[in-house]
Amino acid sequence: MSEPIALATQELSVIPVPFESTGPGRSAKLGWLGRALESVAVWIGLLLAWYLGSIYLPLGDNPLLPSPVLTAHALWESLPELWTGTLSSFSILLPGFTVASVLGIVAGLTVGTSPRLQRIFLPFAKVAGPVPPTVYIPYAIAILPTFKLSAIFVVFIGAFWPIFQNAVSGAHSLEQRYRDNARILGLTRFEYQRRVVLPAALPHIFSGMAVGLAFSFILLTVAELFGANAGLGRFVQYYADFADYPKMVAGILYTGLVTFVSMTLLDRVRRRALFWLK
Amino acid sequence: MSLGLKLEGIGFAYDVTPILQDINVHVPVGQFISLLGASGSGKSTLLRLVAGLNQPSSGRLAWNGAVVVGPSLERGVVFQDYALFPWLSVVDNIEIAIAKAKPKVRKAERQEEAREYLRKVGLEAAIGKYPGELSGGMRQRGAIARALALGSPLLLMDEPFGALDPVNRARLQDLLLEIWEQATPKKTILFVTHDVDEALYLGDRLVVLGSSPGRVIADLAVPFDRPRQRRSLFGSEALHALREQVAETLAEDTLQRLKAA
Repeated sequence: MSEPIALATQELSVIPVPFESTGPGRSAKLGWLGRALESVAVWIGLLLAWYLGSIYLPLGDNPLLPSPVLTAHALWESLPELWTGTLSSFSILLPGFTVASVLGIVAGLTVGTSPRLQRIFLPFAKVAGPVPPTVYIPYAIAILPTFKLSAIFVVFIGAFWPIFQNAVSGAHSLEQRYRDNARILGLTRFEYQRRVVLPAALPHIFSGMAVGLAFSFILLTVAELFGANAGLGRFVQYYADFADYPKMVAGILYTGLVTFVSMTLLDRVRRRALFWLK
Repeated sequence: MSLGLKLEGIGFAYDVTPILQDINVHVPVGQFISLLGASGSGKSTLLRLVAGLNQPSSGRLAWNGAVVVGPSLERGVVFQDYALFPWLSVVDNIEIAIAKAKPKVRKAERQEEAREYLRKVGLEAAIGKYPGELSGGMRQRGAIARALALGSPLLLMDEPFGALDPVNRARLQDLLLEIWEQATPKKTILFVTHDVDEALYLGDRLVVLGSSPGRVIADLAVPFDRPRQRRSLFGSEALHALREQVAETLAEDTLQRLKAA
C-alpha cells in the first residue's frame, strides 16, 4: 500500500513546483518595492519609448513627436489656457450628463417597473438607442440657438441611452422577494420606487453612468471640434491646426487626465452608494 | 360572523397544472397553526394566497370576515430569508414597517420603537448594522422584529428558520413561542414548515398537505401544554406517537402518488 502512495506524492511534488514558483510565490518574494515597480513598468517603458522616439525618429524639421521635456514645458505654459478650457468643457459636460442621469434614471425605473410602458417604449429605445449620437451634431447646431446648447444636447443624448437602458434592466431584474416584501409592507408606488427599486437598481445604474460619462467626454470633444471657441477638444484641434505639436500632445495628455479623474470620482461615488453590497 | 382565517374550497392552478385543490381550513383567532408538507405540496403557495400576494383560482379566502383581495397590514409575512432590504440598516428596516403601520408617529419615536422591537428579538447590538453584515439567524430575528412592528394580528411564516443551523433554529423557535405566548391579545400564526418536529413543537394544531396537487390529508390537534419544554417534550411518548402518525400519513400519500403515476 505504501508504495503507490509514495509514488503519487513524488509525482505530485515534481509537477506543480515549477508552476507555483512563477505564480504568487515569486511576487511575494519581490516585496512591496518590486510590486510597486511592476505596476509602473508600463509607464516607464512608454515614457522611455517616447523619449527615444523623439530623439531618433527621422522626422526632419517638423516635430510631430515632441520630446517629453518639450511637452512638459508646453503643458506648464498652457495650464491657464487648459484650465479655462476645462471650465468651458465642464459647463457643457455637467449639464448634459446631469440631465441625462436624472431623466435616464427616473424614466428607466418608471418604464422598468411597468410592463405596459415597456411594451410602448422599449421598441422605440431599441431603434433610437444605438444611433451614434455624433450624427446629431450638425443638426443640433443648426436647430439650437447657441453652440453651447447644441453641445449640451448632444452630450445629453449620448449619456441618456446607456443610463436609461441600464436603469430599465436594473428595475427589471428586481428580485421577486423584494417586490413581495414591498407589497407586504404596503409601500405606495413612489415609496416603492425610491426605497426599493432605486437602491436595488443602483449597481446597474452606475454601470450605465460610467458608460454614459465616457460617451459624454467623447461627444464633448467631438462637438468642440465643430464650433467651440474654448474647451479641451477645441484646444487640441486649435494647436494641431497651427502644427504646434508640443501643445497639442500636452492637450491630449491633459484631457486624458481629466477624463481619468472624472471616471475615478464617479467610481468613488458608486462605492459609497453601494457600501451595503457585499 | 366568522372570526379568524377561513379557507373554503381553495384551489390554485399555475397555467393548467393544479397546485392546490379544495383546501378547507378554519383557523380561529389566536391559534398557532403549523402547515406541514413535502416540497411540491404547495404550502408556500397557500401562504402566498393568504398573504394576498396571489389570488386563488377558486374558493373563498377570508380574514375576520373580509375576503382577501391583496396584501394588507393585517397579515404580516416572514419569508425564509432576505426579508430585510440590504440597503437599509437593521433599524431602518424596522422603522419602514412602523412608518406604514403608524403613519402619524414622528420619526424619532419610530426609531425608538424600532429599537424596542430589536431589543425584543435580541438584536439590540446590531441596530446600526446592515443585513449583509449579519448571520442568517440574526437576519431572521430582524425579519421577525419587522413583522411584529407591522402590528399584524395574523402572522404568516414561510419556513422562516429553514436556512438556519440546528442551534439557531431551536433558539429562534423558542423566541417565537415566547413572543407569541406573552402577547395580548394573542396573534394568530400560520407557520409553514417541512420539519415534522418543528411543526409539532410550535403549533396548537397541525395541518398536513399532500403533494401534487396540494390538499389537506390530515388536520389534527397538538395537545401539549404550554409553555412547552423542549427537552421533556421531545422525550415524550405522546410526541413520538404523533410524529409516527404524521410520518405514516405522509408516506401513504407518497405511495398513492407513485401508484397513480
